This record gives sequence, C-alpha cells and structure tokens, in this order.
Amino acid sequence: MSNATLPAGARDPGYPTERENYLTNSSGILSWMFTLDHKRIGLMYLIGVMSAFAVGGLLALAIRLHLLDPNGWMFSGAEANNIYNQVFTLHGAIMVFLFIIPSIPAALGNFLVPVMLGAKDVGFPRLNLSSFYLWVFGALFFVTALFSSGLDTGWTFYTPYSTTTDTSVILATLGAFILGFSSIFTGLNFIVTINTMRPPGMTWFKMPLFLWATYATSIIQVLATPVLGITLLLLIAERTMHIGIFDPEFNGDPVTYQHFFWFYSHPAVYIMILPAFGIISELISVHSHKHIFGYRFIAYSSIAIALLGFLVWGHHMFTAGMSSLTTIVFSALTFTVSVPSAIKVFNWLATMYKGSISLTTPMCYAISFIFLFTIGGLTGLFLGTLATDLHLHDTYFVVAHFHYVMVGGTLIAFLGGVFHWWPKMVGKLYNETHGRIAALLVFLGFNGTFLPQFVLGSRGMPRRYATYDPEFAFLHQLSTFGALLLGVGLLYAFVVLMVSLVKGRRAPANPWGGVTLEWQCTSPPPYYNFERPPVVGDPYDFHNLEWDAENERYVTTEPERKLVPESTPEEVPVHAGGQK
Amino acid sequence: MTFPTLLADTNADFWFPIQGSSFAEEVDWVYDLILYISLAFFVPMMAFMVWCLFKYIKARGTKAESQISHHTTLELTWSIGPSVLLVWMFVQGSISFLDMRTPPEGSYDIGVQAFKWGWTMDYGNGTFHPELHIVKDEPTKLSMRSTDVIHSLFVPAFRAKKDIVPGRYNYMWFKPTVASEKISDEALAKLKKQNEGTTWDYDKVHTIQTEDGERELQVTPEGYTFFDLYCTEYCGKNHSEMQTVVVVHETQAELEAWIKANSSRGPIPMEEWGELLYARRGCSGCHSVDGSKLVGPSFLDLYGSQHALTTGENQLVDENYVRESIIAPKAKVVAGYQPVMPSYKGQLSDDDIDSIIAYLKSISSNAPTQPAGAEAESEEESAE
Repeated sequence: MSNATLPAGARDPGYPTERENYLTNSSGILSWMFTLDHKRIGLMYLIGVMSAFAVGGLLALAIRLHLLDPNGWMFSGAEANNIYNQVFTLHGAIMVFLFIIPSIPAALGNFLVPVMLGAKDVGFPRLNLSSFYLWVFGALFFVTALFSSGLDTGWTFYTPYSTTTDTSVILATLGAFILGFSSIFTGLNFIVTINTMRPPGMTWFKMPLFLWATYATSIIQVLATPVLGITLLLLIAERTMHIGIFDPEFNGDPVTYQHFFWFYSHPAVYIMILPAFGIISELISVHSHKHIFGYRFIAYSSIAIALLGFLVWGHHMFTAGMSSLTTIVFSALTFTVSVPSAIKVFNWLATMYKGSISLTTPMCYAISFIFLFTIGGLTGLFLGTLATDLHLHDTYFVVAHFHYVMVGGTLIAFLGGVFHWWPKMVGKLYNETHGRIAALLVFLGFNGTFLPQFVLGSRGMPRRYATYDPEFAFLHQLSTFGALLLGVGLLYAFVVLMVSLVKGRRAPANPWGGVTLEWQCTSPPPYYNFERPPVVGDPYDFHNLEWDAENERYVTTEPERKLVPESTPEEVPVHAGGQK
Repeated sequence: MTFPTLLADTNADFWFPIQGSSFAEEVDWVYDLILYISLAFFVPMMAFMVWCLFKYIKARGTKAESQISHHTTLELTWSIGPSVLLVWMFVQGSISFLDMRTPPEGSYDIGVQAFKWGWTMDYGNGTFHPELHIVKDEPTKLSMRSTDVIHSLFVPAFRAKKDIVPGRYNYMWFKPTVASEKISDEALAKLKKQNEGTTWDYDKVHTIQTEDGERELQVTPEGYTFFDLYCTEYCGKNHSEMQTVVVVHETQAELEAWIKANSSRGPIPMEEWGELLYARRGCSGCHSVDGSKLVGPSFLDLYGSQHALTTGENQLVDENYVRESIIAPKAKVVAGYQPVMPSYKGQLSDDDIDSIIAYLKSISSNAPTQPAGAEAESEEESAE
C-alpha cells in the first residue's frame, strides 16, 4: 500500500487474472450454454429479462401513443380496438411473467446469492441451469403464442372471456405454466442454498438483508406458483373438455377462477416487490456508509409480508359480489400487510440520518425508490378501504397504483441494483454523471406518466379502454408525454451501461464501500468465488473500511486485535499441581 | 385547480366528478380522510429525506457520524402507532360499504342486462331501452345479469360499481340526488337537424342556449343532460364502447311518461321502429348495416339472400328465419361465425320482431316486396 494515510494492514483483493475471471476463464458459445457457474447464468438471465423488458416497454409506448387521442391515435381501422386489446395484453403478460417476476431473483439473485454467502455456487447448479432453459423455452413459447394469434384476454385470463375467445389461450397458459416451473426451481435452489451453505459465522441474523428478502421471496415462489399451475391446467381443461368449473355455461362459476388466480397472483406481487426491498436495504446502507437501522425489523417484516401476502387475495374482487362478511375480512387483512411495508420505509429513512451519504447513481435510484414506493404504498390504502375501492376499482387509479409499486418500486430497485453491482458483474465502472442524469430522467418521466393517472382514475376513467370520453383527453396526453420521457431516460441508462463496457475504467474490488462478502472478492469475481469459505461478521459494520483516494477504492483494514494476553500466565500450570 | 374541462356532466373538482348520489359525499369524505392522513405521513417523510440529503451528503471516505443499529422503542412506536389510523380507515370504509351493499326495502327495481357490447335496461311490461332512466331521491335497485362474459357497471358520478357475472344475479343500488336538465325543444330540434343522418354522438359537446346563457353540454337524443355509465370489466373488442348514460328525472311522473313514450311503437312506421330497435337493443354491436363483417353477418342485403350454415345446408333468409334467429340464435348459425348471440326470447314483442323484419327488408336489395331500389338506397346512404 503506497498511500501513507492508510493503515498498514489495509487489504484489497486486487484484480483477477484472465484465467480466474469468470467471464474469460473459458470461452466459446458452448462454455456459456452449458455453464454451471451461477454468475454466468445470472448474466444470461440479465440479458434475457432486459430483452423482455425492451419488448414490453415498446408495447407500453404503443399503448400510450394510442391513447393520445380519445378515438385512438396509434392504431386505426376496423380492428383498432382489437389491436389495442392485444397490445395491452401482451404488455401486461410479458412484463409480469417474463420481466418482473424473474428480474431481481433470477438475474441479480443468481449472481449474488452464492457470492454473498461466500459459497462457490448455488446448492443445485444443474437445476439452476435447467431453470434458465425453462425460462428461455417458456418465454419463446409464450411470446410465439401471444403474437401468433393475438391473445386478447388481459394478462389475468379471466373466465368466461378466456374460455370463449378464439385466440390461443391454451398455448399462452402452457407458456406461463412452463415459466412457473422455472420460478419454482429458482426458489427451491435459493432456499436450499441459504439454509445449508452459509459460511462460518454467518448466523441467520448476520445475513445481508438481500438474502432475507430473497429467502422470503423463494418461500412464496415455492408455495404459490403451483397454485397458478393448477389454475392454468383447470383453465385448459375447461376450454377443451368443458369440465364445468369456471364457465357458467357448464354450471361453473367465473368468480372461482378469480379466487384461484389471485391466490397465486397476489403473493406474486410480493415475489416482485420483496427482492426490491432487499436491494434497497443494501443500497441505502452502503451508500450512506452507515449501519442499517433496525436490521431485525426489516428481516422479520420480509417474512411477515411473505406470510400475510397469502391472506389478502380477495381485495382484487371487492366488486365481484362476494358476501359482505368475506369482503370486510379481506379488507381488514389487507390493512395488515401495509404495516411491514411501512416499517421498512421508516427504517431506510432512519438509516440515512447521520450517515455519510454518497450521491452515487445507485443511491439516486434508492432515493427515487423511497419516494415512488411510498406513493405506491399509500395509494394502496385507498384501494384497501372498501368505500373508496368501489369507486376506484378497475379505473386508472388502480393502474397508477400498481405501476407505482411495480415500476416505481421493482423496476427502479432493479435498475439501482444493476448499477450497484454492475462493476462487480462486468468489472467496469460507468460514467457517474450520465448515470445520475438518466436516473433523474427516469424519475421525472415516471411521475409524468403515472401521476395524472391517479386523477384520471378518481374522475372515473375505466382501465383497458381503447377509446375514451373527450373530457379525459388532457390528462391522457400528459401521461403519454411522460411515458416518452420515461422511455428516453431508460434508453439513456442502457446506453450508459453499454458505453461502460467499451470505455469504462477497470473497477476495483470495492468501489462503493460495501461490507457484504461480494465486495471481498475481485471485480469481476474469479470463477470459484472464494478459495475457502470466508469468516464473516456483521454485514453492515463499516468500521474497518477506509477510502483509498489514490486508487479510488475502499479497502479493508485489519481490526485492532489483541494477540497477546495482557496478564502474564502462571509459570506453573494449575493442573500441574505446583510441580515444575 | 383549473383543469381544461369539457365536462357536461361533471363539475370541475380536481379529484372527482360531480356528487350525483347519496353515496358520493360519504365516499369522497373517506377518500379525503385517507388522502390527508397519507399526506400527513408522506410530506414529512419526504422532507426528512431531502433534509438528510442536504445535511449528510459528504465527500467519499468520510465516516458516518453514528453507527447506531437500532432503537427498539422508536421502532415499536412507528410500527404500532400508525395502526390506529389504519383501523380508522378500515372502519369508516366498511361502514359506508355496508350502506352501499344493502338496498333499502321498496327500492325502485330496474333490470339490467349486459352483453358484448351494450346495455339493456328492463323497465318492466316489455319496455327496454339502452339508457338508464331513474328518479331523483328515489332509491333505485339494479338487478343485473350478463348473457356472455363478466361486465361491470360503473357510474362515476354515483361512486357506485358492481361486477355483472354470468350465471348469477348481482345487485346494486343508489339514490341519485341531482336531476338531469332538459334542454328546450327548440334547441333540441336544432341539434336534431345538425345531426340528421348520423348516429347520435353522446360525447359531442354542444353549445346550447339555455336560460342561464350559453352553455357547453352533452345531451341525449331526447335532450337530457346525463351521467356517464361505463363497463369497467374488460369484456373484449369493444369494451371501451360499452357505455351508456344515466338520466335522472325530477319526478316519478316524468319517468313514467318517458317509459310510456318508449314502451311500444306508437304511431311511427314499422321500418323506423325497427331501426330504433336495431340501435337500442344491441343489434348494432355485432351486425353492421354497411356490409362490413363484425361479430355477426351484416344486415345490408341480408333479407332474401341465401346463406350457407355451419351444418353445410343453405338457408334462405326469410321472415321465419329472422324470427328464429332472434328467438333461438344458436339453432342455425351462418358459416364463418361463432354461436355467441344471446336469445331475445320474451324480450321483443311480435310487433317489435315484425318491425325489425320490416327494417331488414328496407335495407336489402334482395327483398322481393321492395319496389326496386329507391328507398333501399336512401337508407344505405343515411346509414353511412
């Protein structure tokens, strides 16, 4: 260490050799296709989900452009309404099944879980690769089905519309079925990995909070996804064999389908948002260089959300005609879920207090997340309250609410996570100034798109409308312009990352000052992660980190250790009984 | 709160349309309650965050002032404290909800039939109309059913919504508190003239001379201002066009007079009544009159033509076939179409069916009784 200000024992893992670097230690397309390295699989997932997001995002822009005019602007002709319906179905289905659900757990989780655990890989590397291929296969199947016949049921496949429409519901649901298995495999793998592969010293309450969030998510994936599978199989059976469970024409009940569907899909909302909570807990603490506030409350609240999330599915059906008692019980349960989410936000704010905040790009996203997610959470109260929900249900208010949670929450956290771990994944630093500008554009564009939609909704604009009454035109146009800005911001962020691959500086092992284990191996990590399981302590104890200004990196210093006992030992051991 | 407004049926309140029913005040009150509680949390939290950013952004390498890891009392306070407010919201919301769920005894009952993509309101005694007409200050109960997929009836001005699930009856009720206005007969006559030969556009904003000076209004073909009624459960292609209007009459007598005027053909000719039924009873959703193929076969030149059925047979479209197709639509389906039309059995009188047949004849060049050409062509032009 040449820097005189640094204490003598400062440690830094340096840089990986080409032989060690997981990106370069083997080459050729086959070395990627048949890799069992969780980091490579994570990276392939990242490319996959980003492609899905690009497709879903373009569809979203098409929706917004169509709604520029009350009679529809983008699509025209006799089939305009049909095309619009297909486009919003595609947008929803692709974003939910192909992007949001796998985004953080499968892409970032795959890369991070073993490294954070100081392990070499996940518990079942082959299962991991197979879950990736299931995702690819399911995605291709799904997208082909959607595009070939123009599925128009909405991503929710509500019966009896889905049992009577002549579009390819069966193929699409089979695709979703396959994707469900991919999700279950990933969840199973993480549960086993976290349970069995923690390094010496990492007790449950010394795990990074991202791992807690991932663990809670995995529980939901394993428990809830099978229900979706069953539901979709029943739907297929109803369509082909008329078994009479969902379709009133054969004495079925369409509301039963909604119960089945939301029993999965509401917990799925937490599959989407819990990992985002995990990322934000890491980001806020690391970039404030301060111990996370209320570790146990945050960890327990993840588990609480995972469990309570199974009890609130009925709030999607307040207007469907359930009995008054059922409706009121679901409303009450819904309010209980809001408590653990609120706890987390308070804890993040308290973590920033008296910290030493670095306004890096990931931190910009984290702050943006707190702002947007708080709006998303609070507007949920209007929908959980029965009287107001009857007015707001299935209006743009709901659209705005869940976009604030899914996009303002999950997508922003995903972007924050990608920017935070990008140097670790690819070994390059991106341009911070441009990164921040992109984050600001995304923030402004997002609010421009969805704030007007709250007002649209409370004024009575129903969702999934291809055309609308002229009195709503102004707010719809505002929203469309916001969406265009959001699109520009996201593209900008993407370009920043891509430019870094070519022109970025080489990333040090610890560019932000994190204490969790991934910052203790090189950037990018060697293919074996750690030579031996590292011994770990508190993941948020920043005492032994020093900023090395010369090399623009954080280094770990040796904690002060007392190797020699202070008292002089008895010259004659006690058990010797006084004999020399 | 200045918002560019074209609203004929709404006051320009920032958040809400006009309060048109007894629920509206309650719902808006609960909404405001939640809104202010939320703001009371949101604003200080965000102010605190921004303050932290100003105060604690430091040069890299600076150590944080504190490394405090938890404070159990504080955390318990902010975990349990706000729950009281949540309980308040829940209780208020549920009380109002129970009100909205329980129709008072003796409410005025109107049947609602929802279908792809339109509404038929059943006023009893064989009177059907797509518009919902009700009486001010009279609790009104809707008994709703759907013949195909799930729909949902939503009147923003009433803050009332309920899904309509096929295979069961769903009920909702409300008590309108604001009556529709009726524009003067002269103004209406003028509008009628302007709109001659086109289908009536409810959304069009007309500048109308009224007693209070010139006003921008949206009106029904009969000259009433109205509240919008939407379908809010996605139901397929023309979901967004599955809209109708609510007209609130000042008195029961006024409503009865309106029902009487719409109950049967009266003195007008059969073709005209048939055309009205075509527009009012939902035929126009699936059957065009300009020859284009929608969900069902076009009515243009249909009467008197030959059609292949799904069974492979050929069918001449005559009076009996039209009648059968209205009463039992799935019996003989034209090749290339799905058997999706609901039955109108018991919903159309003999005179209604005769009128529809007369209308079909009037727009078909194949109709044998038609004196060649002239009238049929003029009908076609007006349909465009």
